[in-house]
Amino acid sequence: MTEQAMELINVRKQIGKKEIIKDLSFTIQKGEVFGFIGPNGAGKTTTIRMMVGLMKLTDGDVRILGKSIKTNYKEAIREVGAIVENPEMYPFMSGWRNLQHFSAMIPSITKERIEEVVRLVGLEKVITEKVGRYSLGMRQRLGIAQALLHKPSVLILDEPTNGLDPAGIREIRHYIRRLATEENVAVIISSHLLAEIEQMCDRIGIIKNGELITTQSVQDTMEQVDLQQVEMEVSPIEQAIDLLKEKHELNATEKDGTLHFQSTKEVIPVIIQTFVQHEIAIYQVGVSKTTLEDKFFDLIGENAIE
Amino acid sequence: MSRFFHLLINEHMKLYIRKSTWIMYGLLAIIIVGLGLLSNTFTNDVEYDDNWRETLQEENEQLIKENEEFQENMANGDAEIYAGPNSHLIEKNNYYLENDIQPTPYDAWQFVMENEMLLSIVSLLTIIIAAGIVAHEFKWGTIKLLLIRPITRAKILLSKYVTVLLFAFYTLCFVLIFSWIVGALFFGVAGMSPHIVINQNGDFAQVSVLSEIMSGYGYKLINLVMMATFAFMISTIFRNSTIAIGLAIFLMMAGNSIVTFFADRAWAKYILFANTDLSQYADGNSPWIDDMTLQFSISVLVVYYIIFLALSWLFFTKRDVAGQ
Repeated sequence: MTEQAMELINVRKQIGKKEIIKDLSFTIQKGEVFGFIGPNGAGKTTTIRMMVGLMKLTDGDVRILGKSIKTNYKEAIREVGAIVENPEMYPFMSGWRNLQHFSAMIPSITKERIEEVVRLVGLEKVITEKVGRYSLGMRQRLGIAQALLHKPSVLILDEPTNGLDPAGIREIRHYIRRLATEENVAVIISSHLLAEIEQMCDRIGIIKNGELITTQSVQDTMEQVDLQQVEMEVSPIEQAIDLLKEKHELNATEKDGTLHFQSTKEVIPVIIQTFVQHEIAIYQVGVSKTTLEDKFFDLIGENAIE
Repeated sequence: MSRFFHLLINEHMKLYIRKSTWIMYGLLAIIIVGLGLLSNTFTNDVEYDDNWRETLQEENEQLIKENEEFQENMANGDAEIYAGPNSHLIEKNNYYLENDIQPTPYDAWQFVMENEMLLSIVSLLTIIIAAGIVAHEFKWGTIKLLLIRPITRAKILLSKYVTVLLFAFYTLCFVLIFSWIVGALFFGVAGMSPHIVINQNGDFAQVSVLSEIMSGYGYKLINLVMMATFAFMISTIFRNSTIAIGLAIFLMMAGNSIVTFFADRAWAKYILFANTDLSQYADGNSPWIDDMTLQFSISVLVVYYIIFLALSWLFFTKRDVAGQ
């Protein structure tokens, strides 16, 4: 499971005088789902375009199963299935014809394989309809089908859950996980929907202003966070804020008539006791685990494009 | 090689699955039938049977009479300079009589020959296809999916270019065959290798219609291929079909005017349009500019052709495919 599927080595991209990607290096293992996240304009799509050879690298190299995208393009790209940005297909052709079209460009894809892929993404009923009539979700599925036709070792999906309904998102998530564990495919998912990444990925890489800030496993991220976000509906709220400051040295804020503060799990019953003793009415107590999202904003600061 | 064949099939599928392509053929068909109807109304239905000599003489008498009436009506001396509207026809009839050639009736072959002008429309349609075949992939966003395959960009580009040429070829065949069928229905077929008498540089001569068709269409094909390649180049460089169609059609229409406009400059002979009409070197014709030769024109055409293709290749293979 530790075999490298894709490797980026000091990748740089310069357009004019502007350096869009600065010295990006990371690797993705086989069977791993890698989340590539960052705010808009951080260079996610540029990086993906370079990974699949749509854009030339100013410097550095991308290796797919050890094959360089620069010097061994045909061999390298054979291992890659991708959707870059929107899953755009020929709108005047049926889903089936679209898949036929792309399968003809790669050797030895049988009709059975196309049928199999169509079943996988659940498009059997509409596959003979024109893509122009598809919903965004259906196009997304067709896009994934197209990327899977040749059984790639590396699957690159740019915003794969875009436009899917919750059921569809769950299905795709499930499917991506299965591809990674069962078929040992390395999946790279770019997204800014962090909740998605959290649930799908083994590891995330955060990119900002063309630089990779950090890569870490999702498991680690979860463990690092022991502070919990607590939300309480209490009355009178001002007194409660004062009490928290006095007795527990916690800074609470009032938002939409509820009390918000961060604390460790163990402290929460103590706080409730304090409130009860001071005859503060408690209507509701809620605890949320600090999400990756908070972590994300910690890392990137504000969502500013520089 | 088989991969390239698959690419060609793909391009053909994308081209012929769209209604707009079939509308083009529909338009051509309507124009050809229209021309057939027009010719049917305006040609004289004189049958030149075994007595064709007498028929021709009667015709001539009639024509001479008309000419005299015409000259009487013209009350001044101009009439003597201008031999009359029918002199051309009289000379032609005399040629038949002097050389003892039985006139062939107007038939499908001649109709095909006259439809040579339809090649301008074929050029137009080919330009539209050439202008769209690369630019549309960018417009649809499908270029990204097309290029991330184990096939070089050059091969994909070549498959598109060959498809354009094949489209031109099919369309040309369509014009030839459909014209012949329409011609056969309206006028009938007079033998498989008919000859006609035409005016070549003031003298009449008997020529084979088939060879006339070949040379007529052939000369026009050069312009077609050059303009289609030009449109293809603009389409790959600007990734925009509107610019490509506009520029190519404008240049096709304005080509001769451009040459005339710059005719007195030393470099005028290097303009593409001064060289696209190779019939200027055919018997008795004089070229645009005196010192031009057939070899010179062919060289100029080849150089332009290579430049067009090289630029398309360069821009298609070397440039990044960035977001819209």
